Amino acid sequence: MATISLTFFGKRLKNPVMNASGTLGYSNEIESLWGVETLGAYVTKGLSLRPHHGNPTPRVWDERSGMINSIGLQNVGIERFFDEHFPFFQKKRTPVIVNFFGFTEEEYLDCARRIKPDRLIVALEMNLSCPNIKAGGISFGKDPQTVYEIVKKVKGITPIPVLAKLTPEVKNIVDIARAAYEAGIDGLTLINTMPAAIVDIKRKRVPIKGGFSGPALKPIALRAVYECSKAVPVPIIGVGGIMDADDAVSFLMAGASAVQVGSATFVDPYAIPKIIEGIGRYADKNGCRNLHEIIGITHE
Amino acid sequence: MDDIEARVVDNRNIVSNYFLLRLKLAKPMGIVRPGQFVMLKVPDKNIFLRRPFSIFDYGRDIVTIMYRVVGKGTEALCKAGKNEKTLVLGPLGNGFTITKRDVCVVITGGIGVAGVHLLIKTLKHDASIFYGCSSKEELAVIKDIMERNPAIATLDGSRGFQGDVVTLFRNQMKTFKGKNIEIFTCGPEGMVKNIRKQIEKWKTPCQVLVEERMACGFGLCFGCVVKTIDEKEPYKRACKEGPVFDLWQLSL
Ligand SMILES: Cc1cc2nc3c(=O)[nH]c(=O)nc-3n(C[C@H](O)[C@H](O)[C@H](O)COP(=O)(O)OP(=O)(O)OC[C@H]3O[C@@H](n4cnc5c(N)ncnc54)[C@H](O)[C@@H]3O)c2cc1C
Ligand SMILES: Cc1cc2nc3c(=O)[nH]c(=O)nc-3n(C[C@H](O)[C@H](O)[C@H](O)COP(=O)(O)O)c2cc1C
Ligand code: FES
Repeated sequence: MATISLTFFGKRLKNPVMNASGTLGYSNEIESLWGVETLGAYVTKGLSLRPHHGNPTPRVWDERSGMINSIGLQNVGIERFFDEHFPFFQKKRTPVIVNFFGFTEEEYLDCARRIKPDRLIVALEMNLSCPNIKAGGISFGKDPQTVYEIVKKVKGITPIPVLAKLTPEVKNIVDIARAAYEAGIDGLTLINTMPAAIVDIKRKRVPIKGGFSGPALKPIALRAVYECSKAVPVPIIGVGGIMDADDAVSFLMAGASAVQVGSATFVDPYAIPKIIEGIGRYADKNGCRNLHEIIGITHE
Repeated sequence: MDDIEARVVDNRNIVSNYFLLRLKLAKPMGIVRPGQFVMLKVPDKNIFLRRPFSIFDYGRDIVTIMYRVVGKGTEALCKAGKNEKTLVLGPLGNGFTITKRDVCVVITGGIGVAGVHLLIKTLKHDASIFYGCSSKEELAVIKDIMERNPAIATLDGSRGFQGDVVTLFRNQMKTFKGKNIEIFTCGPEGMVKNIRKQIEKWKTPCQVLVEERMACGFGLCFGCVVKTIDEKEPYKRACKEGPVFDLWQLSL
């Protein structure tokens, strides 16, 4: 039997599969179907310093090969998350990655300061797709210099390993990855959703603008993982359009050490456990004893 | 709640764009309460997300859904033929709470009846039903509750009261005077707002089944929210905290 467990920032993860931030509730929502302890790690919904109400509806819309969401980062805030939801993961002994965001640099720093190290917290995941209010709403993650500065400061504040989650809507994602690396980032999560819109031809209007996720995002995410993992020597989590175990394996081969699954769970709520099982089956069938034998194999 | 394989038993056009779909489940679903719904996989590879539909009826592993064709998902759904395979995730959400009242008043219109049909069946004969639609042809939709003597409003006046269902209800409100009533409703936002206007003075208890676009159907994505008067956390998930809400908690 192959082992698909891995060590990630010094913590043992059962398998390389996580949920993507914002796609598995706050904590126990999936429990009537399967338990969060099934995951390599649970990634929290995007959390901010203060509670955030999010956008009016419509917030979701589907397309032939994916979906658009405009949730607007609704969340109860870091404090309530740790009071109300974190104990659940402690009870279940499930490793957690804390996704967070801010609308100003100070908010990111305050978030990072608030989150105390815990043996279950594997890493912080900074969502850099968030609009920077002081820069006229352009997202932090678009400019290498901004990324360098904010990563440097966050790294100076927290002892917890930090992942930067990057937006694909940039001139060259490798430049962004390099800037984060030079600032001392511990790893990257690639990629966030792509800006998109829907046109309703009957009503002749745009009912929703938001972030696109799902199968159409996969080749774009694979390219980002492939290029960035060659360019920077830190672990990468691949995310975007993963629907089955073959998709997950392709991310590992492109250079990702772990993967996250988002929209697929809405199509099939058992997608994650099926993918975990499928990766194990793939490894067994191909005689690979551990995942290191396939991670980044396409680089050779 | 579980995700259950199912096959189409029949998928019948009732009238205009209304359909009745019966699905045979591979195993029984959990206990179904009126107002609960399922997330149905539309058997067409071009439809990415599932669609939420109220459980119109359920028994002996057969779940019945009544739907109106309004867009690409329901257009694809009406093409599903006998024996076609699909998946049914459910039962989902919190249904109606049946309380002890002198009279339960059900007000609905058009496809809204799909959301309250099981409730009407459960309430047996102590319910007062108001139904509105565009013309008498559309009454085919409520054929099996006709024996319950619903008060009917048609926009064209071809049957019952001519006008909308809330006006019809308003005209009959005095018959409920002095009685302890509770209203149950499901329908377009305009109708719900009108009901609210009529009962504002008395703050009559009223449970509303809301319909919002959904992605997951059980609390994962926060896509389906409705705005409430809770200042701390105004947006509640229709699929998890709902789909039935107390009218007086909603911010309409
Ligand atoms: C809890 C719940 C129970 C429901 N029960 C029923 C039912 O029993 N029978 C029935 O016919 N419909 C029901 N609906 C509505 C049904 O889900 C939508 O009509 C359907 O998803 C439309 O899909 P579509 O792809 O055809 O429409 P789209 O092409 O996506 O949209 C067409 C139009 O329908 C509107 N619409 C889309 N999705 C929804 C939605 N979820 N709720 C309300 N309006 C929507 C859009 O805003 C647009 O105006 C229910 C919705 C919810 C949330
Ligand atoms: C409903 C929804 C909510 C999301 N919320 C967040 C979030 O709060 N923070 C974040 O970094 N990414 C968020 N994302 C992006 C996902 O984590 C992921 O990067 C993206 O969906 C691509 O993966 P997928 O194709 O597997 O869905 C969200 C995506 C969806 C669909
Ligand atoms: S549809 Fe996903 S939270 Fe309600």
